[in-house]
Amino acid sequence: MKHRFQHIVTVAGFCLVGTVILDACQKNYESVPLGQTATIDDVFNKQDSAGTQALLFLANCYQAALPNGHNRVGGDYLDAASDDAVSSSSTVSAVQQIATGQYSAASPNADDDWSKNYTAIRDANIFITNIYRVPLNEQLPNGKPAIAAYRSEARFLRAWSYFELVKRYGGVPLLGDTVFTITDNAQVPRNSFSDCINYIVSECTDIQDSMRTESMVNGNSYGHITQGAALALKAQALLFAASPLYNGGNIDPNNPLTGYPSYDINRWQLAAQAAQTVINLAAYSLVPSFTNVFITQASPVGSNTESIFWVQVGTNTSVEKTNAPSGYTSAGGNGQTSPTQELVDAYPMSSGLLITDPASGYDPSNPYQNRDPRLAATVFCNGALWLDRPVQTFDGGLDKPGGITQQTKTGYYMRKFMGPFESSNPPEYSNTVHDFIYYRYAEILLDFAEATNEYSGPSSAVYDVLISLRQRAGIIPGVNQLYGLEAGMDQGAMRLAIQNERRIEMAFEEHRFWDIRRWKIAAQAYNTTPLQGLDIQQTSAGLLIYNPISVLTTTFFDPKMYFYPIPYSEVVKNPQMKQNPSW
Amino acid sequence: MLHPSFKKCLLGLVGALLLCLEIAQAHGHFHKSSPVRGTVVDEYGVPLSGVLVTLKRTKISVISGQDGVFSIDALPGGTLVFSHPLFNISEWKIKADTAITIRLSERYLPNPVSPGKAVEYHDTISLPAIQEERINVLYGRTNAASFLGSISTVGNEQLSTTPASSYLFAIQGRLAGLNLDQTAGIQNFNSGSLTNTNTILGIYVPTNSSGPGPTDNSEFNMTLRGHAGSQGQNPIAIVDGVQREWYSIDPESIESVSILKDALSTNFLGQNSSRGALIVTTKQPESGPTRLTISAQTGPQTALGLPTPLPAYQYAYLLNEALENNGRTAAYTEADFNAFQKHTDPIGHPDVNWYNTILNKNPLLSRINVNAAGGSNVAKYVINLNYMDEQGMFVTSNTNTYNTNLDLQRYMINAKIDVNVSKDFEVQLQAFGRLQDGNQPGAGAGTILSNLLSTPNNAYPVYNPNGSYGGNTNFTQNLLGQVLGSGYDLDHLHDILTNLTLTYKLDKITKGLWIKAAGNVSVQEETIVNRSLQTPVFQQVTSSSGDTSYNRYGAANPQSNTFSTTAWSRYRFFQLAAGYDRKFGNNSVGAELLADQKRSLLNYDLPSELTNFAGKLSYNYKQKYFAEASGDYSGYDRYEPGHQFGLFYAGGLGWEVAKEDFFGNLFPWVDHFKIRATYGRTGNANVDYYGYYIWREHYTSSAPTYAFGSSYNEGGFNAFSEGGAPGSQELANSNATWEKADKFDGGVDLVFLHNTLSFTADYYHERYFDVMQQRGDNIQLIGIGYPAENIGRNLYQGAEIELTYQNRVGNFNYFFTGNASVQQTKVLYMDEQYEQNSWNVHTGRPVGQLFGYIANGLYQTAAQAAASPTFAGYTPQAGDIRYKDLNGDGVIDQFDLAPLGKGRPLIYYGLTAGFNFKGIEFSALIQGVGNREEYANSQYMQYVNEGFLTQGNVFTQAYQQVLGRWIPENAAVATSPRLTAGGNANNFSPGFASSSYLLQNGNYWRLKNISLGYNLPYQWLKRAKIGSVKIFVDAQNLFTHEAYKGMDPEVSLPNYPIQKVVNFGIKLKL
Repeated sequence: MKHRFQHIVTVAGFCLVGTVILDACQKNYESVPLGQTATIDDVFNKQDSAGTQALLFLANCYQAALPNGHNRVGGDYLDAASDDAVSSSSTVSAVQQIATGQYSAASPNADDDWSKNYTAIRDANIFITNIYRVPLNEQLPNGKPAIAAYRSEARFLRAWSYFELVKRYGGVPLLGDTVFTITDNAQVPRNSFSDCINYIVSECTDIQDSMRTESMVNGNSYGHITQGAALALKAQALLFAASPLYNGGNIDPNNPLTGYPSYDINRWQLAAQAAQTVINLAAYSLVPSFTNVFITQASPVGSNTESIFWVQVGTNTSVEKTNAPSGYTSAGGNGQTSPTQELVDAYPMSSGLLITDPASGYDPSNPYQNRDPRLAATVFCNGALWLDRPVQTFDGGLDKPGGITQQTKTGYYMRKFMGPFESSNPPEYSNTVHDFIYYRYAEILLDFAEATNEYSGPSSAVYDVLISLRQRAGIIPGVNQLYGLEAGMDQGAMRLAIQNERRIEMAFEEHRFWDIRRWKIAAQAYNTTPLQGLDIQQTSAGLLIYNPISVLTTTFFDPKMYFYPIPYSEVVKNPQMKQNPSW
Repeated sequence: MLHPSFKKCLLGLVGALLLCLEIAQAHGHFHKSSPVRGTVVDEYGVPLSGVLVTLKRTKISVISGQDGVFSIDALPGGTLVFSHPLFNISEWKIKADTAITIRLSERYLPNPVSPGKAVEYHDTISLPAIQEERINVLYGRTNAASFLGSISTVGNEQLSTTPASSYLFAIQGRLAGLNLDQTAGIQNFNSGSLTNTNTILGIYVPTNSSGPGPTDNSEFNMTLRGHAGSQGQNPIAIVDGVQREWYSIDPESIESVSILKDALSTNFLGQNSSRGALIVTTKQPESGPTRLTISAQTGPQTALGLPTPLPAYQYAYLLNEALENNGRTAAYTEADFNAFQKHTDPIGHPDVNWYNTILNKNPLLSRINVNAAGGSNVAKYVINLNYMDEQGMFVTSNTNTYNTNLDLQRYMINAKIDVNVSKDFEVQLQAFGRLQDGNQPGAGAGTILSNLLSTPNNAYPVYNPNGSYGGNTNFTQNLLGQVLGSGYDLDHLHDILTNLTLTYKLDKITKGLWIKAAGNVSVQEETIVNRSLQTPVFQQVTSSSGDTSYNRYGAANPQSNTFSTTAWSRYRFFQLAAGYDRKFGNNSVGAELLADQKRSLLNYDLPSELTNFAGKLSYNYKQKYFAEASGDYSGYDRYEPGHQFGLFYAGGLGWEVAKEDFFGNLFPWVDHFKIRATYGRTGNANVDYYGYYIWREHYTSSAPTYAFGSSYNEGGFNAFSEGGAPGSQELANSNATWEKADKFDGGVDLVFLHNTLSFTADYYHERYFDVMQQRGDNIQLIGIGYPAENIGRNLYQGAEIELTYQNRVGNFNYFFTGNASVQQTKVLYMDEQYEQNSWNVHTGRPVGQLFGYIANGLYQTAAQAAASPTFAGYTPQAGDIRYKDLNGDGVIDQFDLAPLGKGRPLIYYGLTAGFNFKGIEFSALIQGVGNREEYANSQYMQYVNEGFLTQGNVFTQAYQQVLGRWIPENAAVATSPRLTAGGNANNFSPGFASSSYLLQNGNYWRLKNISLGYNLPYQWLKRAKIGSVKIFVDAQNLFTHEAYKGMDPEVSLPNYPIQKVVNFGIKLKL
């Protein structure tokens, strides 16, 4: 009996354990982990008439496509890799590597955005191919369905990303609406430069009518891409296509990836017309104060009627803290950007005359007197007022103390984009709008002037553009009301005038770097002389002595560096991918 | 160590001896001289039975009885020899016809040695059937004789001489095939919080931890036969039969550690069977009178491998040189050098050796261990209590009411009770509890150590004249301030584990049948209390009028008081097994069926479940021919439903050659000779290393958001992006499956010369396939990353040998044991991108081969530099490293990357020798690695080797290493390239790759452990009823021979350095 009882207890015990194990197999957790519940059907939800998730995905598309240009490339402005500035960094900065040709296919430069842009293109394609599953109710103020506008925004972002690629690499693979899966063969060949431009232009043309216009923007939709942006992108794509590097100056005329086989003047006409279209919208105009362009929000929400397309950055003090002269320790200033003497010398006198003009009255011993006000708005020169004291970039000055602290290499600091802190006391920065503007009206005007001059010569319309910019800048009209411009310039002289105007008007806005390439003057800009700065000595009597110094010997391997190399791994992993010439 | 199956015949002898005893007593005395009577006891003073007592140089022998008493016919002047397989052999000279008590001391090696064939003279005694020796294997114990796999074991005597916080310190160099590489000197302080969150569909969800779950090993990289933990291939730790990542257990508390290396012995791990098993068995219950062990020990620690910083004047001088080499202006003047060197201006020109300032030379490591075991045949128990305090090396201050030092304290209780409820039914219960309290300075030990590495001697003064901490705009925190004045963090870890095992013998149904049920629950939680603060620093400035004022830098944050959980986990494990073991004449058969499931809950993740349905069949004929087969249908629920289960199987054969008559006749001096081989298919479910549910395609939030709206808050939600694993931005891998391996292991076990010399050798050949890696044509054009896929094939092969010799001369018992392993790996297939140059190809080279540029000395002249190929855009100068242009295209680029080093098979070894003589115990372990190469330029080694790196606006510290820099005057003997400030693109991370210039010979051997102890004579203790008192001193890492002197061969900076410990203690047994 006793044994039997023991058996029963034991067997029951083991059964109990078995039951517990079986019980453990019962479901008591969700089968899909929280955080991974969202599938594409949830993002593009067939029941979601507000489109909440889909619009969040669109935000991701924006995020992926639009970089903040402030100190973007390894902590520096892209233009610090051109002849306009150098990085103040004591180490070999990313922009210095670009300016001195230290990059290759295997170790790409810091502006190599191949992967980043294809990520943005993939995201845009997901949105473009799926958004129509969402029964979005929203309407634009003009009664049109907003869903089309949102889809067009994604198409814009895709076209914009392609254009970013084309600027860097020439023709790139066009993927259409394809979203590759893990089983797809993604070994796609490059499309020609011409195909890419055509694609970007046709996309912009297709979407322009479905997008918001400037006047439809309200406080909530502020930051969404508008019709003006699409037309501006089209204008810029066509301007590039008409430019010497691609149009007549193809570094490898038989290579459709790097440009057109021959020159066609009609490309300039298309560019001029495209810029004219933006002008004709009559939605944009120049802001009276040059400095306000960069620190105010766009109309109709803000007063900035000039801004067409920008990345929403918001308000902060980081531009000031990163780039302001380094002697303002309490406010913070890291003096990251050192503009070159070449840039400073490009600014005319307040009369509009170039400093090389004997009539300009330029005084090398007092070089910053009576200059184009845009100089002071773009560059801190020695003696400029900032945070209630003069900037001291002479040797041993507060902003160039020597030793190992980061400080200017050229005797200049960058002023552009900063808030009006000239006489702030206490010397502190406050939050300032730092949206980075990609396209603004002034540039469209310059695009128009450049294309028109190339197509039909320096007409009065071309003069008018330069005059309007100089007028706004605060240059004295002069007796002939030409704001210092020479009357009756020929096409070549006007070309130089436009190029110089573009340089000084658009400095640090990521134009100079690309302009010297598309104009095919990069070899000259980089290789002629080392970049210059000033060594300013203050005598005991307080007298300033200005000595030019060389700050950086730049190198440009002509012509291969007109294009970035396609990343080595992309070429070697994809037999269809052709590398750029000489890389 | 010896293969435990060697023990078979030896322990058989014990059984034989026990039987002899009864017969001997029954037969009475054979000789007529007056008997010498005595008692034999063990180290606890507990009577020891089964000891063979022999009159030296005669064949007269008796065996001690249950009460330890023996009686032998002998005369004074004769010598008695006391032998027992588990104890050192002892001789005693008979002095007078009085009762004596002899205490035997335990052998150092767990492998018993035969007392010899001394029983032969009792011609009336025949050897009984051999009692099997059982060894600890996966989920239980098994017959050593029939074990066909590859195993290495260390026992408590070997472990307990290591003064350390974890048993891993003690097994380094002692287990063949297991290579331990120390990476840090103390357990990491865990300060990561669980409360980081993502937003998904508007809900806050904490980030998933995924991965393998928490481990308390942050000090060692463990590789078994070359399989690294970085790919989730390190061995699975099985602590008392349960899979747990537990390593922070006092070496004294452990009975044995074994490593199982082959496919057959790990088959029951199913989805994890590729990884091998580290079987850790804590002290086991032992019946008999209570045996109590108390030990207390403490020892100062000394950090090894700290670099020597340059004094300020040298630093300033060399920084000037570096700046001038960069074409920049000098930063210091002659007057500065003088002020630094003569210390005339300690505030303006400080020269602080931070190593001497913030480090305490000899922090203590202290341990107390109490172990009690005993019981009857019905119930037996063991209770183990352990306390440990490991102090860190930072200085402390009496002005703080709290401790700021790095510190690790541990309290552990481990209790086991085995109860035989009836003759057939056994219940085993284990309760294990562990509390661990970590402490660190509020600034964080890791932060302080990396600041220590980078802060120059002249950065700032320690204190200002007004007593405040020194600092300036570039150094807004003071190192000593971070050590003493930053508050503290507390790390509380607690574990509780209970095991219950029920075993029922069903011999009544059919003989040899049994069933077993085992269950385990355990919880672990770790929290951090942050009581840190920040003390501002001040710079003294003197105005032109001579007034002194102070500028404040850095925040003054009051002490915080926050609490968060850093890890939380819960495990439950059930196992049901039924087995059948029976012998039919010469045929023995065994069978086992097993089902188990381990469910782990980590933090807020969904539980993961590993399930096994396994079975095993074994057969042997006359203990001479062996065969075994095993299969496991095993599943892991982190794979896609429908693709979670797989079959893993293994088989083995063995032949005990020494049992063949022909062999015994030919080689009578060979006691044991077994040939064995196993082969099997194993798996490794390491998918968690690649992300949480990587098979599931989904959309997830990404942190940065695009802010629409004029107030930039319209997009206040996070944006969406696609992914396969959270945060990875990769495609989902819906085909993910476990890695697999086909493993062969063949070995021989040999014992000769009356069991004094034993030898084991193993050869293995492991072909891994479906190894997770990214595909080669993972082009970026698709706009998203490719996930890890089951692509790779790797070959691992190697051999291990173990050799042990134990013998004695009189009372001098000595031993020698050594093991050596050699291993080589080869990439059989890797989905590589196309490489046009053979030297760029990875396939066919060792797994994890380092590639880099081949250095060819330094440029000695500017002309040389100008004429040579170099990196695009770099202008080399004299004193720069010259690299070989392998493809001859005039530039150094990715096509010139070649495998670095010789790629020879790695060798690692350990040699232990020692003796026991009249109460004096000595042992020493030398552990070493050969054919090892180390790349001496990790991110942090650059601080040491290169110096003057950019840190904000200033330059980092430089060390003695830079004194050998190239300058024209010492061009021929320079040991490093010319100095540069702010990093150099050519010399130290050429093209962001590696360089052979910095690849060093990593061979080393250490006097890992040395131990000397003295046992007080038993005569002094007997009356106090104390079994033994041992006073001892042991030392860890006393001496290191390293081929490359620039850094410690194991622990690299700025990890907490490896420690030399000299430990003093006392151990009582009663």
